[in-house]
Formats: sequence, C-alpha cells, structure tokens
Amino acid sequence: MKKNNSILLSTPYILWMLAFTLIPLGVVAYYALTDPATGAFTLSNVQHLSMYWGVLWESILYSLISAFICLLLGYPVAYYIAHRGVVAQKILYMLVMLPMCMSFLLRTLAWVGLLQDTGIINTLLGAVGIGPIRMIRTPAAVVLGMVYNYLPYMILPLYSTIVKINPRLIEAAEDLGCNTFQVFRRVTLPLSIPGILSGITMVFVPAVSTFYISQKLGGTDTVLIGDVIERQFKQGNNPNLGAALSLVLMILVFVCTGIMNYFGADEEGGVIA
Amino acid sequence: MKKTNRIFTILIFIFLYIPMAVLIVASFNTGKDIAHFDGFTLHRYVELFQDEHLLQLLRNSLVVSILATAISTVFGTVAAVGIHNLKPKMRSVVMSLTNIPMTNPDIVTGVSLSLLFVFVGTKILGQRDALTFWTLLIAHITFSLPYVILNVMPKLQQMDNSLTDAAMDLGCTPMQAFFKVTLHEIMPGIVSGAIMAFTMSLDDFVISYFVSGLDFVTLPVEIYSYTKKPIQPKIYAMFTLLFLLIFVLMVTMNLLQIRADRNKTVRRKTMDSPGMRTFKRVCAGALAACLILVSGYLIFFANPQEQITLNVYNWGQYIADGSDDSMEVIREFEARYPHIKVNYSTYDSNEIMYSKLANGGITVDLIIPSDYMIARLISEDMLLPLDFNNIPNYQYIDENFRNTAYDPENLYSVPYTWGTVGILYNTKYVDEADVTGWELLWNEKYAGKILTFGNSRDAFGVAQYLLGYDVNTTDKEELRKCAELLKEQKPVLQQYVMDEIFAIMQNEEAWIAPYYAGDCLTMMGENENLDFYLPENQGFNLFIDAMCIPTCAKEKEAAETFINFLCDPEIAGANMDWICYGTPLSAAKEFIDPETVSDPVTYPDEEILVNGSSYAYLPEEITRYVESLFMEVRNG
Repeated sequence: MKKNNSILLSTPYILWMLAFTLIPLGVVAYYALTDPATGAFTLSNVQHLSMYWGVLWESILYSLISAFICLLLGYPVAYYIAHRGVVAQKILYMLVMLPMCMSFLLRTLAWVGLLQDTGIINTLLGAVGIGPIRMIRTPAAVVLGMVYNYLPYMILPLYSTIVKINPRLIEAAEDLGCNTFQVFRRVTLPLSIPGILSGITMVFVPAVSTFYISQKLGGTDTVLIGDVIERQFKQGNNPNLGAALSLVLMILVFVCTGIMNYFGADEEGGVIA
Repeated sequence: MKKTNRIFTILIFIFLYIPMAVLIVASFNTGKDIAHFDGFTLHRYVELFQDEHLLQLLRNSLVVSILATAISTVFGTVAAVGIHNLKPKMRSVVMSLTNIPMTNPDIVTGVSLSLLFVFVGTKILGQRDALTFWTLLIAHITFSLPYVILNVMPKLQQMDNSLTDAAMDLGCTPMQAFFKVTLHEIMPGIVSGAIMAFTMSLDDFVISYFVSGLDFVTLPVEIYSYTKKPIQPKIYAMFTLLFLLIFVLMVTMNLLQIRADRNKTVRRKTMDSPGMRTFKRVCAGALAACLILVSGYLIFFANPQEQITLNVYNWGQYIADGSDDSMEVIREFEARYPHIKVNYSTYDSNEIMYSKLANGGITVDLIIPSDYMIARLISEDMLLPLDFNNIPNYQYIDENFRNTAYDPENLYSVPYTWGTVGILYNTKYVDEADVTGWELLWNEKYAGKILTFGNSRDAFGVAQYLLGYDVNTTDKEELRKCAELLKEQKPVLQQYVMDEIFAIMQNEEAWIAPYYAGDCLTMMGENENLDFYLPENQGFNLFIDAMCIPTCAKEKEAAETFINFLCDPEIAGANMDWICYGTPLSAAKEFIDPETVSDPVTYPDEEILVNGSSYAYLPEEITRYVESLFMEVRNG
C-alpha cells in the first residue's frame, strides 16, 4: 500500500525531470553531432573544439581564482555571523542574501559605472590629482565582478556549516591546551570543510559559465567560454557548435563537482544552506 | 582578533552594498550618466509609472514566478513525500536526477531547454512559435522544483514516523494523517523551498534569455537589452523600488519567524502555537491572494479584448520613442489603430536578428534588416511577398529606392532608412591630422580608446575598405587577410560594440569608433566634442534598411498597416527627426528639423556618395566562413 503510494506520488516528478532535464541534454548531444547546414551526422563540431581550449582554460582559471578569493573573504564573515546572537545572525544572514535577490545585471552595470576610465572612482581620484587608472576591461575586473556577484554563495553554506559546529568541541580543545589559532586549525577548519567545498562549487559553477560579467567588465582579450556559447547561439547562428561547447562545459562542471563530492561533501548536503 | 573580524565583516558588507547604493543614487539623478550626479529629482519615478511597457514586463515576471512557484511547491512537496518512501537505491537515483539542474550551469540548462522546445515544437509538432509563455513556465518550474525537493526532503527525514502511525491509530485515514501531521511538520521546509524558488525564478536571467521567444519576455531579459542601449534612468528607479520591496518583505519574514520561534520555545507543549498559526495564516493568505491575482490576470490575459498583437522586431534606438520631445511612434500607431497592440523588441545586428529567426520557434510580424540581409532572407525563402494594396503610402518612396539590387522586383521590402558608415571621433582627444581614413582605427596613439563593430559584416567591411578589397569578395584568401588585420587591431581596441556605443562615446570613455551616420549625428547632438568623418577616398558602406515581413509572421495585414503608417510622410518625418537617419521619402523632409536635412553627416553630397558601396548577399558558405573567422578574431 505504502509502496504503491510512493511510486504513484513520485512517478510524475520523475517523468517531468526526465523530459525536461535528461532528454534536453540528449538533444544538445544530437545538435553537437550534426552539421549546421545539412543536419547530417558529423564530428566537425567536436573537432572545432580544439580552437577553444585556450578560452576554456582561461574560464577555469578565472573562476578558480574567484572561488579562492571568495573563500578568503567569505570565511571570516561567515565565522563572524555564526558567532552572533540569534537575532543578529538572522539579520546578517538576510543582509547577505538580499543582494542575491536583486538583478545581477544592474548590479554588474553599477561596477561599470564605478570602474570605467570616466567612472566614479576615477572621477574621485581625478579630483585629488591621481589617475585615471585603468581598472575596467582587465582580467582583474572580471575576477572582481565574479567575486562580487558570487560571494554570498560562498558565505551562506560556510555559515550554515560553521554554525552547526558543537561549541563543546571548541571548549574541549581549549581545555586540552590549544590556543585560539590551534583551535581554529585543528577543530573549526576541519569541521567546516563540507561548507568550504560546497561554497567553492557554488561559486565556481556560475563563474565558469558566465557571459554577462566578462562582456561588461572584460576587455577584448578576456573572452570566457560562456561568451563563446552565447555568441554561437545568438549571433553566429551556429547552434551546433554552441551545443558542442555546452556539452564540454557541462562535462567539465560535472567532473569538478564530482571531485568536490569525492573530497567529502555528504550526498544530501552540498546544496544551498 | 574579534575586532578585526568585525571591521572586516563591515568592509565586506560595504563591498556588497556599494554598487546597489550607486544604482539607488542614480535613480535620483537629473543627468543620465551614472558617474556624474547633476542634481536631485524624483522625475524618474514618475517616468517609471508612465511606462506601460516596463510595468507590463514586471507583470510578466511576476506571473511566471508566482505560477512557477505555486506549481513547483505543490508538485515538489508531493514528489518529495513519494521519493522519501522509495527504496534507498531508487531514492538516490531520483536525487541525482534532481541534482542535475542544480549543478548544471544555467547557460547549459537554458541552451538545452531551448533546443528541446524548438526541436519538439517546430520539427515534431510543426508549430511556428514554439517558444511561448508556456515553455518559459515549464523551464521555470523545472529549475524551481529541485529547490523545493531539497528543502522538503530533510524535514521529512527529521520527522518521526511514529507520529503519522499514531494519527492513523487514532482513526485518521492516511490522507488525513498527511494533512494533519506530516504537512505540519514539513511546513518550514515547504515555505523556505517556495521562497527560494520564487526568488530564483523572479531574478532568473540566463535560462529565460535562452528559452523566451519575443512575444512573452520577462523583466531580467529585457533589462539585458536595456543595459546594451544607453540605459534609461527609470530602470534605476525600478531597481530602487524593488530593493525596498524585497527589503521590507525579508524583514517581515524574519520578524515573523523570530516571533514564531520565541513562542515555540515558550509553549513547546502545545502543538500549534499562536505565533506559528498566524505565520501559517499569513502564508496561506498570501498564497491565496497571489493565486487569485494570477488567475484574474490570466483570464484578462487570455482574452485581450479582441486585440491583435503585432510583433515588431527592430534595431535598438531605431524608432522615435517619445524622449527629447519626439513623437512616440508606436503609441501614435496604437492610438490610430486601437485594435492593434504592438509588441516591440530590439536586436543590435542583422546577424542577431537572423539567428533568432533561423533558430525558429518564434513569431515575428515585421523586421527591418539591411540590404544584404534582405537578399539572404529572400534567397532562403524567409520573407513573404507584400500586398501593396495595403501600403498605399508606398507611392511616396523615392524612385532611386525602388528596384534595388537586393529586391529587384520590389516584392518583399519597403525602404525605411538609408545611410553611410563613417568614423565618429572626439575632437578633444583626437588630433585632426590623424583623421585620414580607416587606419585611424589602428592608430596606437589612441590605444584603449578605439571601438569597433561587434558584428562580422561591418567589422570586415572596415578591413576591406582599408585593404582596398571589394566588400563583396568571395575570395577566401582576401577574407583571411582581413581577419589578420582585425587581429592586429585587437591590442589597440577597447571593445566590440553595437548599441552600447551611445553611452561610451557620449561620456568619452572611448574616442574613436566606426558607426552608422544617423546614430553618429544623434551622439553628436548629445556631446559637442564629437565629429564625423567619411573616408570617401578609401570607400565606405552605403546601406538601406527596409521593412519586411518574415514567413513566420501571423499578422501579415496588421504588419502591412504598420508599414504603411511608417511611410506616411508626416510620421516618417517625425520618426527620422529623432533617429537622424536618411529618409527614402523626399516628402517627409518638410517634417524634419531643417538642420538635420541640411546636415552632411546624414545627407552627404551626391559626388561623395558615389564612392560608397553596398554589401551584397554572399553565398551561404562564404557567410559561414566570415562568421567563423570573426569568431576566431574575437576569441583568439
């Protein structure tokens, strides 16, 4: 009885997910292996991919750097929030989440206004006789954009892991003679590893596939894989090559998250707070 | 240690909030430039509420997110209960299926869904418009579902199963047990799942960008095209209001929750504390209100008073929009023909428009491509012949704009504008002596301040004029040399632009750019340091943009009415007055500002014009080759 029920309840969902997540990936593979002009089977799209290894490598590099910076910036913040009172925690948590609900397009555009040669920062610097300093359209600006946009994705999972650490463990470590640094290194840090891993994944995945940030903050030499995919679909009228590139991106992301999961995140966790 | 940590946290919050502060300040700015505060005004808010189009987009976004949230919450909760009772092995399979949309990059999800919808819609079901409101809704439900499942599952696992058993022992049917016990226990999971789904859906750009067609677009997708054009400050006003709204919502939610938690600890023994009850009631009330709102809207939506929706797809900044005291052409049209409602979308290059049409799945009734693109569309059977009985104003079209090379028999197109491509430069920074021709765009002296075209045909055109090649060459060797030249340009180049150029040239972020003469004149009107140069000795592009009806059109007659309206000399004059392009209707000139008509930027002398050349349609293979070379230039 119960078993039948569970199948009855979950089957529509399973069918839905098959139809709208798994089958579309099959369609992507189909496009990746067909010729844009004739629709015949071909491997040429896949062969074309070799042109894009440089772009792919650069995307990975930028997003790994961003994830790492997010970790460095986000950890102290998450730690701080996790050690406030209940009400303060709620308020601070909300303040971290709030930017995630606002249009990231406009928030990125605000950075353009801040960073460009005739922008706010350079105008202020100009008023005291410095500059203009070249900030926008550099790799650093792209990394900044990624860090800014995805920092909350790092702080939230870190916070929820740190807040769950049993304070008695820390007390015990202190009783056994650890100083603050040792407590952190031997107790708090190892126990927050699941949060760190899921934070890195949650920053890495959107960063590696972004196209808006690099379009607005990058220069002519900072082209990311997301840009290339977007351009194949929206301008180049070559959905087949775009599909092949999407496939590569997807495999890359699955390999990366697979590695992350292998290193510790438990199967149910690893997803947003 | 603690103190430094506090200061550090404060600094990070400042970092997170500064860009938003910039946007909020910009909403009160009288000037248009985000970087310069000229004076305080509330006028942007007035503009916002007068903008029917923006409000419509906001409504669209709300409808999609509310429906997607409601459906995925119910669907997801039911599924979670089912999954929870599955055998462990099966459960882990289903959970990894659930994780696919979570771990997949948004762009891959978007691409895959759009390919699926177009494939199934056009190739299997044979429909023209496969990308509609419904497909967008499906996409939103699909990426919202995992959030609900992943929030409800842990609550189900934490729940004590003996509670439901007890309820059934006391005479509940399984159904009653579910509603009285289980639902109560997993409620917090459902609520947080629903909230997450709603915020993700409301702010989703990437997936919607790939999945939506033209007739139903959400706010973030349209904001994307707004951020390419010179952005209208009313967008900042909308951002500010949304910020306030979300802020208030979040604070209320938190207060309610804090109070509920407090009550819970006080009266742990009673099953349903008053706080929790109010919380639930508020939630239920809000949900019900939303559903009523949505269904009311949908009824209205499904029956738009026998109005025809005309989908117009045009270049950005290419129709008078009412700003700077111009005529708001579309509103004027709707006022004259109340049974037609115009749904207006923009593209910023022929190639983008072509991709959108060729990928299929959309309905467009009217497009305004350039000459070479029209020839391509004709050769690929993508245009419908026009019924000129519906376009009596065609009589005003000048003789030299008829029987053109791209449409020799005048079957498919009615000219909209014509113009040249030249160089726009800033006299404050650029030495007049350097302004000698297209080579200015390679001048290292101005490295980092030079822009160029973000579309293949115009970018290659510049290289072809500089190298002295025929712009319609099909010689692959010549094209490869052009690509080499464009690669050499990259170190001095600031960006590839299309509609973005307006803001960048006007605020002097860049100093040199090749662009369409009419737009150059518009920019020169905004910044007096700008000047225009037409390299007549090397040659330049002379183009005509014309109105056409693609084969995917549904409202051909309404589209012809619109074409006819735009050919009314008075309307055409008012329109050209704002867009500053050349008009193919001499009769319209008396309705244009005499200064524009006599301006050599838009209307150069005949003896100069003979040095111009038009782009012709190149064979499919060459077009693809140029496109792939251009991709190589940009990615290399």
